[in-house]
Parts: sequence; structure tokens; C-alpha cells
Amino acid sequence: MRNNKLFKLLIVFMSTILLCGCWDIKDINKRSIPLVMGISKEDDEEYKLTLQIPIPKNDDQISRIVTGRGETVASVLGQIRTNSEDAVDFSQIRLIVIQKNLAKNPQELRDLIKFLMGSEDIPSRALVALTDDDVENVLSNINDKLGVHASSIYDYFNKGAGWVPEIFSITIWEVYRSLYSYTKDIAVPVVRSGKDTVLKFKGAAILKKGKIIETISPDECQLVNVFRNNNEKGRIESLGFASIIVTNSSIKNKTSMKNNKPTVSSNLRLKIYILERKEGITNKRIRKELEKLTEKRFYRLLKRTQGSQTDIFGFGQQFHQQISYHELKDWRNDYYPKLKVNFQVHANME
Amino acid sequence: MTQRIQIVIVFILIQLSIGYLVYPDLIYVLTKTAHWELVMCQGFLQLILIWIYIKGLNYFPENDVIDIYLKMGRWVAIIFLIPFVINLIALVAFNIRLHTEVIISVFLPRTPYWSILILLYFISVYTSIKGLGTILRSSVFIFLIVIPLVVFNIFSSVINFDIHNVTPGWELPARFLLKNKFFYLLGFSSFLFLGFMASKTKLSFRQLFVAWVSVTLFFLSVVYIPLFIFGQEAVVTLTNPFLEAMDSVDISWFSFNRQTMFFGLSLVGLVIVANSVMLWMIGQIMRKIFKFRKVKSSYWIIAFSVISFVLAFLVPNQSLVEKCFLWSTGAQAYSMIIIPFTIFIYGFIEKRRVKA
Repeated sequence: MRNNKLFKLLIVFMSTILLCGCWDIKDINKRSIPLVMGISKEDDEEYKLTLQIPIPKNDDQISRIVTGRGETVASVLGQIRTNSEDAVDFSQIRLIVIQKNLAKNPQELRDLIKFLMGSEDIPSRALVALTDDDVENVLSNINDKLGVHASSIYDYFNKGAGWVPEIFSITIWEVYRSLYSYTKDIAVPVVRSGKDTVLKFKGAAILKKGKIIETISPDECQLVNVFRNNNEKGRIESLGFASIIVTNSSIKNKTSMKNNKPTVSSNLRLKIYILERKEGITNKRIRKELEKLTEKRFYRLLKRTQGSQTDIFGFGQQFHQQISYHELKDWRNDYYPKLKVNFQVHANME
Repeated sequence: MTQRIQIVIVFILIQLSIGYLVYPDLIYVLTKTAHWELVMCQGFLQLILIWIYIKGLNYFPENDVIDIYLKMGRWVAIIFLIPFVINLIALVAFNIRLHTEVIISVFLPRTPYWSILILLYFISVYTSIKGLGTILRSSVFIFLIVIPLVVFNIFSSVINFDIHNVTPGWELPARFLLKNKFFYLLGFSSFLFLGFMASKTKLSFRQLFVAWVSVTLFFLSVVYIPLFIFGQEAVVTLTNPFLEAMDSVDISWFSFNRQTMFFGLSLVGLVIVANSVMLWMIGQIMRKIFKFRKVKSSYWIIAFSVISFVLAFLVPNQSLVEKCFLWSTGAQAYSMIIIPFTIFIYGFIEKRRVKA
């Protein structure tokens, strides 16, 4: 009996051997954790990587910017790792800002997205944004502003429902998916460094298999967002003689195929609240005007995208039932330009 | 009674362990549309085999598979079961290595793989040496930990779903039954261990049917979660679709900000149960067939686990691991067809003879 107890005790002590398994641990205060990564290309040759690393002191108000240059993104990441004072942990990157000059070359952008998706260090749920500006400016802009949190660039895209319905948040895996998808293209938000705010929203760039087709305005962004089943709640629209705020929205799509011609009828229902109006303007006029404005905006965007054969609204997704999978491959070229959409807006007072 | 439920739990856990990693990849390669039909097809085949197996086993109450084969003759047992043992050794080795690779990529990127390999091996060998009782009890424990995680994983990924990514319909290419990849798929239905545990408790088909339904639902979810998130076009380009699907979910509101963490943890639990059952099966077979040697089954288990450890250790890279794993499950499919049928036929003949 006594022997048995001794044996058990021995086993308990043996478990301390397992502690040496922790030889490669790095405590969290010995790591630097970048939040935002900027990628750009210099002189069409070298990749330049910019990292924004918050310094966890003084209420998180300061951060530092680290840059590196190299032939591939992976090599720059390694280089930054080598040169950094602490162990760099890329697993918390929340936003990746890509400079537009890199996005000019579709093949390069595709490779970049594939790399970011495949990389085990960088999480595929990080958000993506494009910028015309110099990436370093965008990231370092945060240090000039007073009272701005180090994580504010990321917070910018995550304001939550009902605050800014125009802003997109697109993650890496969504961009990756759109590289392969037969029936859906994607819009990536475009930002600039702002004068008094950290960022300025400039609209979105439509990507078709990694190629930037065109840029759309924030107003159109919000329309695209509606079709991605995001609520339009919180949107403020000014009609000249009145301004309204959308308090709720819902969209319903119905698809049909008639002798190889796809048709979608979609109904957008808006609940609005009138913020201000000039004297003598009736509710009805405001409603009609809003409906007309939204419909016009939609048809204009549809025509443009049909011309460039980019299905930014993802209408093709809804034809999975009518068109066989193998024919969907030609959705963008054969079906989408022929697509007819009956878009109707119904605005109601709250 | 309790033991029966425990066996059902082991059944579910083993299926989860094997189905989590390579199963969805296989499905995506086999068909581009109507994935559910393929899953159901595999499920029904499995159900039929289980039914035959249990029918066959019930001809011999108080006996397990090895006893039945020994009744047919020692050489018959050796011919049928030794290849099965070799197959099991390979399966243990590649299964554990595959899980190690995934665990490394999920949350231990800087740890060398041998240390994780040793840890997983040590625990599963220990459990299997302790015998059936320990396996069953620990499986209940692991079940209670793992199943909530699995369910949480499934439900939290709903947020990224795009229902339009999946083509509903019936258009399954009919020739898939002939492809050898489908044969691999069949190998994922591991139910053979049931016959090894059946000597004391008589298995009822009804309880297994419930387990089968839940496992099939799980398989459907494993196949459809990446599909709903990425769509067929993107999913075939990913090396580990289910893992990527889990990784796409942003749960920063939670104290663990990565969902893959849960996935990795549940894998650890699952692989331990699956491997300890397989090692235990090896031990049982060797002990009963070579009774005259008077070697304890634990020695057999240790000897064979060392072999499979070396095998797992020696595989140089991940793509080869996946290939080897597929081959060994494909080989498993042979035993899955042959063993139930031989037992059923033998039982049938035996019954006739007794009557006559």
C-alpha cells in the first residue's frame, strides 16, 4: 500500500518533466502584435510592407510604424521578423490595406490574395481595403491625430449595424472566394488618409477575378450593400428639398428564366423618417422622389456593370436553380449582359 | 445498458474523428453538384453493412468477431484478420500524423511535430492498454467535452453562410460509384469495432440507427459548411476547406477570438478515442489468435504502436500523409465489406447445420 502511494507520488513529480515542453513559449508582453498591415509596390518591383503596431502604454494612444521591402510579401514578413526587437505575431492582423498601384496588375493581386489566404500566420478573416494614397501615410496618419485609439483604423470598418450603411467590410476570404466564383464579383472599400479624421471613405472598387474594373461612389456602395442583404438602416439621404433617414429596409428577389433570358424582379422596401423638409412639401412627394432617385441610381449602376460583365450584385447566385451548374460558368459573359431587372422601391413613412 | 450507450458514443466519436479532415475534400472532388446525395449514398451503404454485420454477429451470442473466425479455423482467422491488423497499424499511424499536422497548423505553429505525436500516442496507447472499460468511460467524458464544441462550431459558422452558394438538385454524375475515390469514401465508415465489443452486450440495431442518423447529419454539416461559405468553385482550391471555413468566422466578441481553437481541441479528444480503439482491437486480435504464446495483449499493443509511431514519424510531408491516409482507409473498405459478409454467411450456414 505504502509502495503504491510512493509510486503515485513519483508519477506526480514526473509530470514536472512536461514543463520543459514550454521552452519555445513567448509571453504576450514579449511579442509585438501588429494590427494593420499595408502592402504596396515600389517602382513596380519591390513589395513594401508597412505594419502598424500599437504600443500597450498610455491608454493605447501610440503606435509605431514598421516598414520593410523585399521581392515577395513572405520575404518581407520574414525580414520584419528578423529585424524586430520582439517576436512578431501576425495572427492578430485585423486589416490589410493594399495600395492601388499594386492592384493594377490582376495577376499580382490574385497571387497576393492567395498568399494571404494560404498563410497560416495571417488570419483569413482580416478585412481588406484599397487606397490611392501612400500606404505609409494612411497608417502613420493615426499618430498625428489627437485622442485616437491605436486600433482606430480597424474600428473604422467595424462600426456596427445602423451607424454607416455605406461602408463595406470585406474580408480576405470573401475576396478569395470571388476570385473563383462563377456568379459573383466583389467590391472592396477604397479609403484615403483624412485631414482631421484618420480615414476618409472614397467608395469601393469593383474587383473581377482580381482586376479592378471601376470605382463606385459611396451612394452606389450602399446599394450594393443592400443586395448583399445588409440593412440600409441609418442611411441619410438628402433630396434637395428634404432629408430623410432610413430606419429599416428589406429586399426580396424573384428570379425567372424565359427562353434563355434571365429576369429578376426585386422589391426594396424602405421605412423612412423625415428629418427636415422645406415648407409645403408633402410626404407623398418625398416618397416618390426617393423611390425615383434610388431606382435611377440602381439602373445606372446595373447598366455600367453589365457593360463590363461584372456581376457586382450577385444576381447570378440566385440562378443556381434555373441554370445548371456547368452553364453557370458562362454566367458573366452569356447571361448577365442579357439580364433584366425590375427594380422597385417602396418607401413608407414610419 | 449503459455499456450499449457507451458503445454508441464511441461509434459517433470515431466517425467524427475520421470524417473531420479528409472527408469533405473527397466529396468535393467526386462531385460538383448535389453533394448531399453522395453523403447519403455512403451513409446508406454503411447502414446496410452495419445491418448485415449485426445480423451476422447475433447468430453467435457471447462471441466477438475473433471468436467467430477462430470457429471457422485458425488459418481462416489469420488470413482474414492479419491483413486487417496491418491495415489498422497503418491507419493508426497516418490518422495520428494527419491530426498532428492539423493541430500544428491550428494552434501550435512553432512546436515540432514529434512532440505532439508523442503526446497523442502516449495517451491513446495508455487508454488502450487499460482495456475496454477505460476506453468506454473516457469516451463518455470526451463526448461531453467535444460535442458542445462541435455544435458550437457548426452554429457559429452560420453567420458566414451564403445560401445561394449551393446548387440544390439531383444532378449527380452517375458514374461516381465506379470511381475508386468512392471506395475511399466507404472506408470512412468505421463500424468494424462494433463486432469486437459485442461479446458481452448484445447490440441493438435501433440504437445504432440513431447514432447513424446523427453521424450522417454531422457528415452533411462538415460537407456543407465550407460549401455554404466558399462555394464549390473556391472550395476545391483549398487544402483544408473545413479548417478555412472555421477560420473565416470572426468571434472577437468571445474570450477566445479564434474558432479554430475549438476545432483543434475537439480534434485532440477525437483522435485519442479513435486511436485507442484501433490499438485495442489490434491487441485483442493478436492475443486471441496467438493464444499459445501466452503474451499479454498489452505487450502486443505496445509493440504495434511502436511500429505505427515509427511509421507516422517517418512520413516526410503533409501531402504524402494525406495520400497514405486515403490508401489505408481504402484498404479498410475491403475489410468493411468482407468481414460483415463472411460472418453473416458463416452464421447463416451454421444455423442451418444446427437445425439439420
